[in-house]
This record gives sequence, C-alpha cells and structure tokens, in this order.
Amino acid sequence: MKRKADVVIIGGGVNGVATAYALAKAGLDVVVLEKNYLSSGATGKCGAGIRQQWSTAENTELAIRSVQMFEHLSSDLGMDIEFRQGGYLIINHSEKELRQSEENVEMQKRLGLNVRLLDISEILSIVPVLDLKGIKAVGATFCPTDGHANPFLTTFAYANAARKHGATISTHTTVTGIKTKDQHVTSVKTSKGTIHTSWVVDAAGVYSKDIAKMVGIKTPNKPYRKEVLATERLQSMFEAMVISFTDGIYFSQQQEGQIVGGIPIPHEQIGLYKTPTFSFLRHMSQTLTRYVPLLRHVNMLRHWTGFYDVTPDARPILGEDRTVKGFIHCHGFSGHGFMLSPMVSKLLTEYIAYEKTSPILDRLNLDRFEGSNLTQEHSVVG
Amino acid sequence: MEVNGIPNVRTCIAPLLEGVAVRMQDRLASWPQNNTDNAFVSTVQDIDILIVGAGPAGMEAALQAATFGASVLLVDENQRVGGQLIKQTHKFFGSKEEKAGTRGISIAKDLEDQLCDDRFKDKIDVLLDATVFGFYEDDTEDRYTFGVISRKEYKSRLIKVVCRSVIFTVGAMENMLLFPGNDLPGVYGAGAVQTLMNVYGVKPGERVLMVGAGNVGLIVGYQLLQAGIKVDRVVEAAPTIGGYHVHAAKLRRCSVPIYTRHSIKEVFGADCVKGAVVVELDDHWNPIQGSEEIVTCDTVCLAVGLTPSTRLLEQIGVDMALVPEAGGYIALHDERMQTSVPRVYVAGDSSGIEEASTAMIEGKIAGAMAAKQLGYQQEKAQTAYEGFLKELKRLRAGPFGAKPRDAKQRIQRLWRKRP
Ligand SMILES: Cc1cc2nc3c(=O)[nH]c(=O)nc-3n(C[C@H](O)[C@H](O)[C@H](O)COP(=O)(O)OP(=O)(O)OC[C@H]3O[C@@H](n4cnc5c(N)ncnc54)[C@H](O)[C@@H]3O)c2cc1C
Ligand SMILES: Cc1cc2nc3c(=O)[nH]c(=O)nc-3n(C[C@H](O)[C@H](O)[C@H](O)COP(=O)(O)OP(=O)(O)OC[C@H]3O[C@@H](n4cnc5c(N)ncnc54)[C@H](O)[C@@H]3O)c2cc1C
Repeated sequence: MKRKADVVIIGGGVNGVATAYALAKAGLDVVVLEKNYLSSGATGKCGAGIRQQWSTAENTELAIRSVQMFEHLSSDLGMDIEFRQGGYLIINHSEKELRQSEENVEMQKRLGLNVRLLDISEILSIVPVLDLKGIKAVGATFCPTDGHANPFLTTFAYANAARKHGATISTHTTVTGIKTKDQHVTSVKTSKGTIHTSWVVDAAGVYSKDIAKMVGIKTPNKPYRKEVLATERLQSMFEAMVISFTDGIYFSQQQEGQIVGGIPIPHEQIGLYKTPTFSFLRHMSQTLTRYVPLLRHVNMLRHWTGFYDVTPDARPILGEDRTVKGFIHCHGFSGHGFMLSPMVSKLLTEYIAYEKTSPILDRLNLDRFEGSNLTQEHSVVG
Repeated sequence: MEVNGIPNVRTCIAPLLEGVAVRMQDRLASWPQNNTDNAFVSTVQDIDILIVGAGPAGMEAALQAATFGASVLLVDENQRVGGQLIKQTHKFFGSKEEKAGTRGISIAKDLEDQLCDDRFKDKIDVLLDATVFGFYEDDTEDRYTFGVISRKEYKSRLIKVVCRSVIFTVGAMENMLLFPGNDLPGVYGAGAVQTLMNVYGVKPGERVLMVGAGNVGLIVGYQLLQAGIKVDRVVEAAPTIGGYHVHAAKLRRCSVPIYTRHSIKEVFGADCVKGAVVVELDDHWNPIQGSEEIVTCDTVCLAVGLTPSTRLLEQIGVDMALVPEAGGYIALHDERMQTSVPRVYVAGDSSGIEEASTAMIEGKIAGAMAAKQLGYQQEKAQTAYEGFLKELKRLRAGPFGAKPRDAKQRIQRLWRKRP
C-alpha cells in the first residue's frame, strides 16, 4: 500500500478510474481506492446509454463533448469499449411535451448537436416495432449520434490505461476517514493504512455522502433504488434507445440481441434498499409490452437493482469544495453519470493538474444549493 | 426452437401437443408474430407455505404441512411431480421402512397419489411446468414474495406468489468436467442420460464411456446395459470405487471394466463424439504422461457428483457455508431444517447431497415444523417431528451413512457458531 500520493480518488466506478487515467496521463501520482471491485457500484448496474438531448445547457454540453471523446476512446485506451451510436428516440405524448421538445432542440442545436423533431410517420422507420397508438405518440425527437457503450469494458479500459501511466488502483480497500488541517486535506485513512495527500476526489457514487461527511461537508444527495430488466436474445430489429419522460421508460436492443431497459419503481421510497421489487417487474413488463406488443411472449432473462445518486436539480456536483481545500466533489450524477464521465474526468484534471477552472465547474459546484434559483434538469428517465 | 410463432422454446422438455407448428430458429430467434393475449401477470396470495421443487423432499413436506392444516402451493418446473425419482427404474437400496426394494418411480407414483387424496383437496395446490425464479421485496412484515413463471401452450405467464413461509426442496445440479471437446453433442450428464432412457424411452447412443464410479455412474451404467447399449468402461479418478459394492458387482458381472485412478483427458470428433482419450492418474491426481488410451465411443456420460442448488436461498441472504462433504456451498440450517432467515426452510439434496430416503424425512421435518411455526397443531407436529428425527438418525447410523452424517454434523457445528 502506498503511503503518499498527489491525488487520492475514492471510488472505482467509471468516474473514479476515468479521472485517474486523465490525472496520471498529466503526470500526477494517483491512487484509486475501491472498497469492492472495479465497477461494483452504479457503473456495473447501469444502462450505459449515452445521450446528448438534455434540457439544461450544462448537461447537454458535457454530453456533447463526452461523445466526441467516446468516439475515439477505444483507440485512446487501447481496448474496445463497444461504443455504438444508434441514436436516442425521445417519444412525445402531448402538445405540452412537443413544445418542451421544440425548446430543447433549439437549445441543443445552438450547442452544435445534430438533433431533429420527427413527425409520427418517421418514428417507425427508426423503431419499426413500436405501437404508436398504444403509447399515444404525437411526435418525437431523434439524435443519431447518441448511443451506448459497455460499462464494464469502459471501466476496465480506463483502469488499465491509468495503470500504464503509473496510477495505483487498490481494490478491496475501504476509506474510513479523511484528515484535514486548517481546512486543507492532508491524508486519507483506509482499511489498509493511511495515505498522505493534498487532493481527494470523492467519486464514491451513492456513498459519496458518507465520504463528504468525513470532512464535515453535508451534501443534499439522496439514494434511489433503480431496476433494470434484460430479455432473451432476438434478431436485431432496431438500434436506437427509446425513451419517454411521461412514462419514465427507457429501452434498447443490445448488439447481442437482448432488450434491456428500466422504468421508475411505483411508489418507491428513498433509501438503500437492494432487493428487487415485483412492482417494478409488473410495471416494466406491462409498459414495455404496451410500447412493443410483440414482446409479450419473450422471456425475461435477468433483472437487477442499482442506485441513482440524486441531487435536488438532477445535475451532478463537481469541483473543489468552497470550504475544504483539496476536496473535489465528483458525484450526484442522478442517473446519467456514465455518459458524462469522459468530460467530467477532463474538467477535474484540468482543475487539479493545471489550476484551470471552467464555467461548467462553477455552475455545478455544491454552493449552488445555497441559492434559491436552481436550474432543474427535466429530461430524466428510469 | 420456435413453436406456434413463439421463440426460444426448449422443445426438448416442452410437451408435444396436437397440431403444433415447430420450426428450427436461427441462432437468434426471429421476433414473435403472435401478440393477441394480454393478461400475463397474476397474483397468488394468502398461501401458508410455498414449496419449491416436487421431488421426494418437496412432496413429503407438502403432505406433512397439509396434514397439520397449512395451505400449500407446491411448484415444480417439470410436467410431473417426482423430481429425480421419475428417472429411477432400479430398486432402492437401504432400509425396508424407507422403501428399499421399491423402484424410485413407484415411490413417486405413491407420493403423487397421496397428494391427490381428497383429504388434501383444499390444502395442496400443485403447479407444474412452472419455475420459481426470484425473491422479491414485500411490504408486509411477515410475508415473502416470489416471482414464478408458469408455462402454458409454450407461452409464459408471470405469477406473484405471496406466502408466509417457504421450503426449498430444489435438489441439486450435476457437476461438469473441463476438457477439450466437452461441448460436443454426445457428451451428457448422467441425469440427461437417465431422462432419455427411462422417461422418454430414447437411446442416448450405442457405445458409452462412463466417467465416475459413484452410485450414480454405476447405476446408470447398468441401466445402459439393460437398454442394450454397450458400456466400454467406467473410469474413476479416485483410487477406490465410491458407490455401493452391489452396484459395482452388477456391472462387473457383465464384464464392464472399472478403472480407478483414471480420468478423461479429451473428447474428439468433428461435430459429434467419435471417441475419447482416457489417462491414468498418479498419487496426486495428475495425469501420467504416456498412459493415454483411446476409447472408441459415441457417448460420454459424466457422473461426477452433484452440487446443491442454493441460488434462491443465496438471493434471500441466508447464511451459507462451504461444506465439501455436502457437495459445496449449502444453506446452514438447524435440526428443524430452518435456515438463518425465519420461516425459510431447506430439505433434501438442496440442503446437502444425500439420498431420496433421507430427503423424504427431511422434507417431512420441514413440512411439520413450518406448519407448527405458523401455529398449526403445535403439539402433534412436535411429536411427529421427534419421530422423524429418530428415523433420520437411524438411517444415517450405518456405514453407508458416514459421509452425510459427517456433513450434517459439520453443518450443525457451523450453525451453532454463527454470530
Ligand atoms: C439502473 C441504472 C441505470 C443507469 N443508466 C444509465 C445510463 O443509461 N446512462 C448513464 O450515463 N448513466 C446511467 N446510470 C447512472 C450511472 O450508472 C452512474 O451515474 C455512474 O455509473 C456513476 O459512476 P461513479 O464512478 O461516479 O460511481 P459508482 O459506479 O457508483 O462508483 C462508486 C464506487 O465507490 C466505491 N466506494 C464507496 N464508498 C467507498 C469507500 N468508503 N471506500 C472505497 N470505495 C468506496 C463503491 O464501491 C463504488 O464502486 C444508471 C444507473 C443505474 C443504477
Ligand atoms: C442415478 C441415481 C440413482 C439414485 N439412487 C438412489 C437410491 O437407490 N436410493 C436413494 O435413496 N436415493 C437415490 N438417489 C438419490 C435421490 O434421487 C435424490 O437424493 C433425491 O431425489 C433428492 O430429492 P430432492 O427432493 O431433494 O430433489 P430432487 O429429486 O432433485 O427434486 C427437486 C425438484 O425441484 C425442481 N426444481 C428445482 N428448482 C426449481 C425452481 N426454481 N422452480 C421449480 N422447480 C424447481 C426440480 O426440477 C426437481 O423436480 C439416486 C440419484 C441418482 C441420480
């Protein structure tokens, strides 16, 4: 176990290892501490969809620039992460939703995104199996460069590349405390000893709250159980991820043929509950077969749970804490932290290694919750 | 295979109905055509005890629980009750009280008749061709929820089952061996060979290499001979034959050689088994170079042990431990067969590999104690339980019971040591 490092990253999910890779590449001495194994948190449970169609400019911009990085990530990292761009199809069910879509598309286009409104007749050319009447579709938006990657391979690829650049990754190592002096981070206590450092990145996912508490910081994040279902494999029929903000559903057909998707659990309460619920299973299978009636006789193969780490405005908390120096927030991804990881790691690295700040980091700082004007991200599913 | 437009049907175990359209599907199924019916989720509420698996342990558990007045749902993934017993055409070995001399299939029939007895009409429901696949959260403190898939006319139905107590009598899974060619058609587990011959009346092949000389390998080897199939030899990695002497003697009398300290190295053939290479092992179970021998055969039957099925128990989160004598990871349990989670019971091979005779008594114990725990005829159930315990002890007392006796003693010790 190392005793000293430039930066200690807590959490071996995609954001922790992506940041480790970028920092190590910039020449810093980095240690990642993961209490279980790599991708054992939300990363290994996620849908791994990559979407740029958001309602707030920050998320849209982070996602657009992340996709640009995803496009050559496999070759950068020297390992195939199965990145595929089948597009995201967002179904609108009402006039009100259509108007919100028009507004979003305008903002997204301004940021340079290739996205457009589809009328009813065009939807079936993208996903032919949808029952448009059954789901009362009135329109949709489509962005062809949205897509998907394999979350395990992405994590392992980042981790391997980080190690090549000299980073140390210690799995099965739990962080138990953080020491500060004069409001500066000085060391991290773990189940395997203490490491001296002046930078700590809190990328502990749903447990980031507990890490922040170790230095006396209160974060507003709340854990929500989320479930995903995967069917048996079928011949390839469509490539797009289908989502609906009205129903909260998302699903796509993976390259291997299975349909994978999720939906919010009816009457779900906040908390770290891990057991799968029958109400999800019922609700998901009923809604999914309303969207695609042909799936009625297709079996489910697997079903699992994970956690969203949700903030009050459904946007991540990023950047250095205003009171505890050297403490970097990297959490609160509210269900979309996989797709943002390339840019998140880039921005945090620029800040730590080159002292470069950015408007996005400023606007996504924890201190935004002290004000009363929060910009809410509305385009959330699952 | 695709049946009536429904993809991915396992036609090897699905019933053949009049007028069905069966089609070979590509590696990936085409999308189903039929989408007319809708009602595919239902709920079964207010059962006292869910029993998962209708082998000898599950059937006895159901009969006991119902005798004391509990309502029971007995679920099995096969089309008939009986578990392993329906494959067993040989006469059982062991004590008279526990049906020695009777064939397994007859024991199953007898238990099935009892389940159908009028006395239990309102107490026992049997759901066949249905799989209990998952444990789900329930809002009610003293209830457990399970997801069940029930198949009817090749279509799956989702059922939510809510119960007060659950007994796992799910049996065991066969062990596999790793060697080149083990995925060629013609390499079978002993269970599949038994099912083909004894349940479906289909010959698995013409010339068989049997791997494993435990009771299962020996009995299935003899049944193959009875079906007119040539058994080239039996190879066994251990230095001694694991099964009972009577079963080994039957094979030897028919001049089937049993090679101890021998194992299988590989199987060859382009698209099905054409033969196998066997090899002698040294004192450390390593292959001896140069001892390879080619066996010409079209079938390799693996009878290399069983591992208790515990996945649902693990999902519930009961305390587990590795007990090699019992066949692998098992759910720790007390003498009443209750696990570390209240009202969750285990019995039969699922609680440690043993025999049908002991599986039946364990099933009785679990059934009686689960009913008692729910408040049914507590005194009578207790008296019955004490009787069953004595029977179990007697069954395990002989020299043949040494291994399971050790296993169960170890489980008891681990149970008491839990934090
Ligand atoms: C069902 C589901 C579907 C999702 N779908 C998508 C999607 O389609 N697209 C998308 O972009 N995002 C999606 N997400 C969200 C995404 O998974 C997360 O935002 C992202 O994976 C977060 O990564 P992370 O590295 O920040 O955190 P995590 O992957 O949660 O990693 C945190 C790690 O920290 C470790 N840790 C915690 N405490 C300690 C400690 N004290 N010491 C050491 N280590 C510790 C944990 O073990 C864990 O491995 C989904 C999430 C879920 C649950
Ligand atoms: C070749 C051979 C010879 C044998 N000879 C003898 C002998 O002579 N004497 C003797 O006493 N014993 C003998 N046995 C052992 C005996 O067959 C087993 O010990 C006994 O059948 C175990 O009973 P069980 O009820 O625990 O499990 P099983 O009989 O295996 O029954 C379990 C049942 O549960 C079902 N099931 C499992 N999971 C699920 C699920 N999730 N949902 C729904 N259903 C499920 C299975 O399909 C199965 O039908 C022999 C075994 C073999 C293989």
